[in-house]
Amino acid sequence: MSQPNAFAPGPRPHIAEPGPWSFPTPRRATLDNGLEVVSYDLPGQHVISASLVLDVPLAAEPRELEGVATITCRTLDEGTAKHSTDEFAELLETAGAGFGLDVSSAGLQLILDVPSRRLDAALDLFAEAVTIPALAGPDIDRQVQLRLAEIGQARANPSQAAAIAFRRTVFAAGTRYARMNDGEPDTVAAVDAEAAQSFHHDHFGPRGSKLILAGELPDTVQSLVEQHFGVWSGDHQRAVDHRPPEPGARRSVIVHRPGAVQADLQFGGFGIDRTDPRWADISVASYIMGGAFLSRLNGVLREELGYTYGVRMGFNPLRSGGTFSVSGSFRTEVIGDALTRARDLLSIKDQPFTPAEVKDAVTYFAGVSPLRYATADGVADQAAIQALAVLPDDYLDQRLARLRDVTPESAAAAYESLVDPDQLTLAVAGDADKIAEPLRQARFADIEIIDLEG
Amino acid sequence: MTSASLDYPVAEHVLDNGLRVIASPDHATGSVAVNLWYDVGSRHEEEGRTGFAHLFEHLMFQGSANVKSSEHFALLQPAGATVNATTWFDRTNYFEALPAGGLDLALWLEADRMGSLLAALTAENFENQREVVKEEKRQRYDNVPYGDVMERILDQVFPTGHPYRHTVIGSMDDLNAAGVEDAREFFRRFYMPNNAVLSIVGDVDPETAFAKAAQYFDIVPAADRPEKLITDPLPPLTGLPRIETTQDVPSEAVYLTWRLPADRAPGFDALDLGFGVLGQGQSSRLIKSLVRGREIAESAYASAMGLVGGNSLGMVGARARAGTTPEELEDALLSEIDRLADEPPTSAEVERAKAQTERHWMQELARIDSRADQLSGFATLYDDPQLINTRFAEVEAITPEEVSAAVAEWFTPERRASLIYRKEGR
Repeated sequence: MSQPNAFAPGPRPHIAEPGPWSFPTPRRATLDNGLEVVSYDLPGQHVISASLVLDVPLAAEPRELEGVATITCRTLDEGTAKHSTDEFAELLETAGAGFGLDVSSAGLQLILDVPSRRLDAALDLFAEAVTIPALAGPDIDRQVQLRLAEIGQARANPSQAAAIAFRRTVFAAGTRYARMNDGEPDTVAAVDAEAAQSFHHDHFGPRGSKLILAGELPDTVQSLVEQHFGVWSGDHQRAVDHRPPEPGARRSVIVHRPGAVQADLQFGGFGIDRTDPRWADISVASYIMGGAFLSRLNGVLREELGYTYGVRMGFNPLRSGGTFSVSGSFRTEVIGDALTRARDLLSIKDQPFTPAEVKDAVTYFAGVSPLRYATADGVADQAAIQALAVLPDDYLDQRLARLRDVTPESAAAAYESLVDPDQLTLAVAGDADKIAEPLRQARFADIEIIDLEG
Repeated sequence: MTSASLDYPVAEHVLDNGLRVIASPDHATGSVAVNLWYDVGSRHEEEGRTGFAHLFEHLMFQGSANVKSSEHFALLQPAGATVNATTWFDRTNYFEALPAGGLDLALWLEADRMGSLLAALTAENFENQREVVKEEKRQRYDNVPYGDVMERILDQVFPTGHPYRHTVIGSMDDLNAAGVEDAREFFRRFYMPNNAVLSIVGDVDPETAFAKAAQYFDIVPAADRPEKLITDPLPPLTGLPRIETTQDVPSEAVYLTWRLPADRAPGFDALDLGFGVLGQGQSSRLIKSLVRGREIAESAYASAMGLVGGNSLGMVGARARAGTTPEELEDALLSEIDRLADEPPTSAEVERAKAQTERHWMQELARIDSRADQLSGFATLYDDPQLINTRFAEVEAITPEEVSAAVAEWFTPERRASLIYRKEGR
């Protein structure tokens, strides 16, 4: 058995300043058809990550066919003019490749991950899926049914249910942003092969698109891209204007889940995007409030009170505008007190940000960057975000420089201009029979019980 | 086809107190990953104390002799660190990745809690973290559809008293019954340098890494190491165990499970590829036939979960499309499993499964933090950290014939357990 007194460590070590760091600089080239190729050569990263970013906002979807962008993207790898569904899947997986996608309000992203030695074969298939997909009736119909089932799963999941209810309220009623990116049931159900084929015909093309490649790239990468994407024609391609989001009217809602043992909440409002002059300030402020493990919110609601496994506050920027929210799952019995305390903590009137808090936030952001962007997929993801939000190649370097200029006063000014704790939208998924009254007593007098299917 | 050859450097050194230290330099990012595996997981828990390894992991962040409660995070995050810990059936790991200038602080903090956790453990922080863990259980398991799948599966596959019979999160009753004395006892029993592996990967040379490890950990005394837990392998299941449950779930679902050989035991890799052929990827048989072909499933998968304690766990699952009954879905899954014998996996199918494994493995090793975790794991479980370079070659050497032989021995319909989720009547 060890003696408790035998343990006598030296003084706590200091941290040496990290060295300088920059996000990698890409090489850029543009094919004759207009496709821009953005390549990041990262030696030692043997799995190449490619992201094709299409400048197709969700505003491109006809109102009655919302979800068609998602259904189209999800069916791209289900057969092409050259290969059947099964053949295509076999070829792609024989090449060791993974195909993925991301549909956001600002644009579409098609993603390929593949070991570098198999890049040629995989890029060939990737181009085939994007440029000449079959989008056949049976496959589209199946993807529609699978999306409808997925909506059922999402509504049954409390954190997703709260998020769905939150976006319906935080964005102006009746606008695209208030509805799920992947489409709501009524319009998804209306999507058919003709709709998907028209959407592809009208909106998929090389003009305005960017192919991002990151990893240990072969010397031949430019000619490979030219070979596989050079024939892609943009003759039919229609440009679509981006429409910024608008804020909704404040509400407090409960999505009723009978018997739920926790209440999942989203509590927040309308925010800003990365080009707003307050972005660095609000990044620091929200890290202090709900980003760090020992943030003001998590430090109290988890570490002092044990009300939750974790609570966080985050700003979610869009290409233009954005949202922010406090989110977490709290046991049913304490939801009223948890929200009361959260609202008090969110007020900085009597608890200003301190210089130490600001310094910790800034050094955190600076310190995590080298590792976060050390891998091919880390770089490609960030480059795609920058492409979708129309940010410069040195965006992260500029951001880190701006973070260093943040003061407690500037963080507080940005925070108070955006966060009024008494005017936030609340969406809770939980047992309304048990939580409605505590929420009313917690000064959410206007609480309404809603049904996501309504 | 030849795979990319892996050649990550691996250097080892054992401190006098028995702490095994592994260093693997990588100067690309100026960052360093510190990773500690303790050879204790939920399989080491005793009856009536399930969930304890994981609850204990939380307590490791509540301070030690020279560190205040939660100060571990408070010191490391401003240094730009990602910090966390996880508990699994076979181990508990603690890790931080940060700019290399923070290496000394990370090691000092890990040594302080390894050497002096009990000096700071109080009834108050024990109570607080018990509540946090109960919220974690509610959030991840009790309050989501199908959240009890794993609990029910383990109950079917492993006999009473078996180390894998219970989940890592444990039972609410056991969490409620635990006391701070149990925590002290747990620490004394499992947390000691000679029951741990420390990996240091990144912008530091092995000699420096070893010197720093010695500087901070040498003062932690060795203690009586718990005996290695050896669990005898069980034969495949018999008697077709079956559970049906009716719940408020969005879709009816079927989960079929098998006992498999332990991770890396003969047959396991072949079975892992067999499960891949059956149910991983768009070209797998289940996706082809149930999701795309017959359109009776909204999703389907097959996977082998490697465990070291005698047996691993094989799982095949699917959610039913509207209009398909769980019985029809189960029959369809079983006929695909039968077909693995009637139409054995082809070399093309096995190559595809290997190609997917290879990509995931390369992506895992691309990050210094996950590379450090793999080094600690291979050293802890197999006494061989060099496996990070050679493990994939073991998988690549498997032939389709070996896949068929292992499937015939372990992975047949009569050796399964079935778990059926029905929707509550509306």
